[in-house]
Amino acid sequence: MSEKNTKNERSAAGELLDSLYLDMFHLIEAHTQCRIDIERTSSDGSILLARTKFQQGGQSLSTAQIPAENSAEFNALCRVKKAADEDISIERHPVDKENGYVEPLYWFSVLPPMSLRSAVDKFKRTIDLIAESANLQRELSRVLDGINRLRQTVALQ
Amino acid sequence: MALHSAIKGKLISVIGDEDTCVGFLLGGVGEINKNRHPNFMVVDKNTAVSEIEDCFKRFLKRDDIDIILINQTYAELIRHVIDAHTSPVPAVLEIPSKDHPYDASKDSILRRARGMFNPEDLVR
Repeated sequence: MSEKNTKNERSAAGELLDSLYLDMFHLIEAHTQCRIDIERTSSDGSILLARTKFQQGGQSLSTAQIPAENSAEFNALCRVKKAADEDISIERHPVDKENGYVEPLYWFSVLPPMSLRSAVDKFKRTIDLIAESANLQRELSRVLDGINRLRQTVALQ
Repeated sequence: MALHSAIKGKLISVIGDEDTCVGFLLGGVGEINKNRHPNFMVVDKNTAVSEIEDCFKRFLKRDDIDIILINQTYAELIRHVIDAHTSPVPAVLEIPSKDHPYDASKDSILRRARGMFNPEDLVR
């Protein structure tokens, strides 16, 4: 009787393991696709940054314009919000100079050219994809932990 | 701090080359907090690996950071630290840079997934 129970348990664990492996493959596919999309949008953004540098001069977009540790404090316009299902999404705060929400576009140019504005749109899209990728990565990590735990349990039986 | 960041939302931090940092900062992820600690680090050819590692560890300790973005080429330099970080928060995302495209075979999470298939399992 107990041998039959063990056999049933092993078979149920095997089925669960199969389903977790299937989830893992789907998540790997989605994760890789998301990374390809990130690569595509960020390289589109980089090309637009290069165009801006070409038009405005090499030093127009460099580390020199980025605030350093001795600069005044400012807040991020873009933050990560957790939804009820533990997934994250991006929340954007409107520019509000008085409360420290400054527009980063003006660090680089007083009159930002069209190419720089388009680059901003590309990087904003990349940030949305980053949140999507982080959700997929966390889900994949949970599935991998589940597979590991189940394999250990099956091995102990 | 934790409660404050939970209300306000958490940050995305960046460790990358000049173009990566400029791009994501333009996207609005950059912040310098009250203690004058930025959530980004620009890596150039003069930056030591120990500096990247220290910055990465500093970001891991901060409870207001939810995602750490790092160029895959720099992630390779501190792979042992990235592999040792198994907690889901903050999530570490390896991103491509202008000079180095994304290589799935180097990504920590995909390497972990590949580790699920060792030859012993296929024989059984």
